[in-house]
Amino acid sequence: MFAEFKHMLLRLRGQIFGWSLGLGLFSLFMALFWDTALQMEGLQEMIANYPPEMAAFFGGMNAITSPAGYMNTYYFSMMPVIAGVFAVIAGAGLLTADEEKGILDLVLTYPISRTRLFWARLLALSLGLAIVMVAGWLGWYLPSLGTSMDLSPVAFLLPFLTLFAVLLLFAALALLLSMVLPATRLAATLAGVLLVGNYLLIGMANLNEGLQTVAQATPLHYYQGGFAVAGIEWSWLAGLLAAAFLLAGAGWLLFLRRDIRVGGERSWGLRLPFAGVHTG
Amino acid sequence: MEEKVAIRTVGLRKSYGPVQALRGVDLAVGRGEIFGFLGPNGAGKTTTIRCLLDLIRPDAGTIRVLGIDPQVDPVTVRRRTGYLPGELSLEQNLTAATLLRYLVELQGDEVEWSFVQRLAERLELNLERPIKNLSKGNKQKVGVIQALMARPTLLLLDEPTAGLDPLMQQEVYRLLREAREAGATVFFSSHIIGEVEALADRVAILREGVVVEEATPKQLTQLTMRRVHVHFCRPVDVQGLERLPGVSVAGHNGEQATLQVEGKMDGLVKALAAYPISDLSTESVSLEQIFLTYYGAGKPAQEVD
Repeated sequence: MFAEFKHMLLRLRGQIFGWSLGLGLFSLFMALFWDTALQMEGLQEMIANYPPEMAAFFGGMNAITSPAGYMNTYYFSMMPVIAGVFAVIAGAGLLTADEEKGILDLVLTYPISRTRLFWARLLALSLGLAIVMVAGWLGWYLPSLGTSMDLSPVAFLLPFLTLFAVLLLFAALALLLSMVLPATRLAATLAGVLLVGNYLLIGMANLNEGLQTVAQATPLHYYQGGFAVAGIEWSWLAGLLAAAFLLAGAGWLLFLRRDIRVGGERSWGLRLPFAGVHTG
Repeated sequence: MEEKVAIRTVGLRKSYGPVQALRGVDLAVGRGEIFGFLGPNGAGKTTTIRCLLDLIRPDAGTIRVLGIDPQVDPVTVRRRTGYLPGELSLEQNLTAATLLRYLVELQGDEVEWSFVQRLAERLELNLERPIKNLSKGNKQKVGVIQALMARPTLLLLDEPTAGLDPLMQQEVYRLLREAREAGATVFFSSHIIGEVEALADRVAILREGVVVEEATPKQLTQLTMRRVHVHFCRPVDVQGLERLPGVSVAGHNGEQATLQVEGKMDGLVKALAAYPISDLSTESVSLEQIFLTYYGAGKPAQEVD
């Protein structure tokens, strides 16, 4: 299992490096901008004059004078969608991308069970997401030592925990969809649409209380973003992680049941879980 | 006591939607055999092999590989099996060495790297080159090496020499014979008759998802089908011979006739006794001719075993 985990991590290294660099630099820039933002009266005034609907959509833009509000408005509110691109694409392609290329056909003839292959790869992706989160965290924490943003390293870490849970959940969703839909690209697209749809729904729910009930049934409702620096809802975090695990578990069960395809062998239609379970 | 049969399938069926790929494949491959699985594209060779490795699951039928049901314990089957896919796809960004080291790790470090290097030398493959820069033939060599490197008990090879030049084909044949001499069973599919004739101890011919013939290449070529050239003393009518079971007239020109005989010669010899014959000779047809006969238009599929 370790061989597959290590190999998958190496294969993801380019994406991990790119996203870590991007998020790290973005975090660094936003952290360094904190003192300036506090002193920019024009900025405060401009935000104060934003339509209340807009402020509500982005979940409290008027709170940017606090570290939590600032981090949430300029960073964490949009991060599920931005970093979600990585999570969704990597999740959807974790197994079926190799299957479509014909690579999985060879790997699965080695003495590694489908269960081990599945979880080793998912574990590698989880670690990859965690590395990206750490890069983002360092980008906030290290420059904060020279700014007036007086937060502990743990406080900086908490919103990244909630972000990690959300990203893992959507990666698991994309993985599950890839087990059902006929193509990796379709699975990634649908998972991406669901992610963006959830993001918009949360924003709309801030404007329309009637949507709150629906929003509460979606993952991003339990994403605290930057406000987690002031205290994290551990039950929400646990819930997101549990949902991610359940989605991954459903994907795993489908992976056990599926025929591994090779190009031209048969049509690539919608696959439903009706076949026997592979114990391998 | 270890079972003497390396592969046994009974009534193996597999459909892809409306397409019946396998329609009841019965096979028994003995341990230590080199077994050729002959058939044209789409006959079901790859589907059968992939069922043996539990990459796909049959709709019906039973499979035993080295005495193990691959659906129950696929990992043990794979640990003892080397496989070369028919459509070999490799990770393009790795070097051959990196890819093989990864596969060695998956195998569980039971592979001596020096053996991998020896195989590469024999196949004249530079392991340090990236896969994406390798020709189709060289990629095939990587496939052959990974199949052989763990010295498996059973080799399942789907068209093992595809893309290789004749010299390398011969080297692969040598490697497979050596594997057999070391105790391995070799099961390979091919649509190259010469390859099967040169290598296999026994052959099964697959047609439209059914094994229609199973024998040694010699049995197939010498016993199953013959051509009989008959010279008569005077022009004769040979229509009566055509009515004999398994006999067809391939050519007739007054005093000469060429007859094609499937199965035993007994009936024909007795029938010819009634004709004025000046000369008679028999000729075994090539495996290729048998193959073409099985796939000829109008030839009904029939199970032999």
